[in-house]
Amino acid sequence: MSLHADVDIQQLYKNGEELCGDNVIVTRSPDNTTIVISDGLGSGVKANILATMTTKIASSMLKRNIKLDEVVKTIAETLPVCKVRKIAYSTLQIIKIDTSGRATVVEFDCPPTFFIRDGQVTPFPVEKRQIGDKLVGVGHLQLLENDILVAVSDGVIHAGLGALLKLGWGWKGVAEELQDVCYRYPSVETITRRIAGCCEGYYLGKPGDDTTVVAVKVHPTRFLSLLTGPPKDIDNDEKVIRRFIASEGKKIIAGGSTANMVGRYLDEKVGVSLVSEDPNVPPIGYLDGIDLVTEGILTLNVVIERLHDKNLNESTLEDGATLMAKMLNEADSIEILAGTAINPAHQNPNFPFKINFRSQVLGELQKILQDKGKQVHIEWV
Amino acid sequence: MKTVTIEICMGSACYLLGAQELIETIQALPEERQAQIDLRGSTCLKACGQGPNITVDGELFHNVTPELLLRIISEKLD
Repeated sequence: MSLHADVDIQQLYKNGEELCGDNVIVTRSPDNTTIVISDGLGSGVKANILATMTTKIASSMLKRNIKLDEVVKTIAETLPVCKVRKIAYSTLQIIKIDTSGRATVVEFDCPPTFFIRDGQVTPFPVEKRQIGDKLVGVGHLQLLENDILVAVSDGVIHAGLGALLKLGWGWKGVAEELQDVCYRYPSVETITRRIAGCCEGYYLGKPGDDTTVVAVKVHPTRFLSLLTGPPKDIDNDEKVIRRFIASEGKKIIAGGSTANMVGRYLDEKVGVSLVSEDPNVPPIGYLDGIDLVTEGILTLNVVIERLHDKNLNESTLEDGATLMAKMLNEADSIEILAGTAINPAHQNPNFPFKINFRSQVLGELQKILQDKGKQVHIEWV
Repeated sequence: MKTVTIEICMGSACYLLGAQELIETIQALPEERQAQIDLRGSTCLKACGQGPNITVDGELFHNVTPELLLRIISEKLD
């Protein structure tokens, strides 16, 4: 079973600062998800530069499969030295999870990673290793469905220090809160918001340090295939349709001619609703065995708008664009089969300029979905 | 009672060129008249360059305006 890692990040900036001195980079490849977190020395611009350099160097090296020892050594040798403290310093924490659920955690000077299974919170097991002149914690674990990892910067551990809480919230305090919030299989967003919210409370709205919470949760990958536009070569129609029909997970067709093409293959007539909830979105269609059938390019344009809407999940609209955006939002791995057949309608000079570019619309769609942490692959057929 | 089947193309091109207006035109007719019309949507009537396209009892019409649609309905039913 393929597992997908949901990731969410919440940050609070140190009171009075315009930049966060903590930095997080999430990179995804078809095989794994890598999260690199760094807390730079001090706060503000300097800390932000140190943290960003650390995460950038680490994530780009890890992407190229360079060994961990090399990554840590390179970071230690490259960071600029602080004039005041005469040291080059930032923390480093890496969480890497592959699609089989195998997790690797690397910790250098950061609070121990929280590991939550069946509502029980423990530190992620790591062993100390000497890499160069640094003592680094490294651990591996096979994750199961619904396991959660939470990484925090010391701004979380020290929340409330010297104010509401004499010694700050502490690792155990955070663990107790996590135990409470993780009792009912929460989303990663619920976890990060709850922890960041508590920190803000303990800091009385004025964080004494940059504060970062990253939650990671694994679950079976939810697949989705989107077929839009008939293939350029009509001889390819059947091959593409077969592949689409055989694909795992939810299926969406965007495009009238595309729906007709699949309908002919399935020997089913495409039904069309006459209800239009939004004048910018043509009505949806129906085809047995396909989860959603919509018009093509106009709907796809509105899907992008819908995906930018933070209240999409609460939307009660049932137009094609809202339905498609919700389905895309709920998927982790999205395969887009994009036909390149010339649509005679698009040769009409009376049409708005933007509808002529399927490639542009799909490029935008891919970007926004990738920014939401999804694996998106477009294949032009 | 005479009846007519009207299929309106809801593909991108026809939709942009006014297919929705055609549906609204029919939906604005008196109920007795609407009862005589079997209104359906279609994904593509394969004449995208000349939309909006409709079929009336199977016969294809191009560049249909609300006025033309009302005239066709009247010819069929009156």
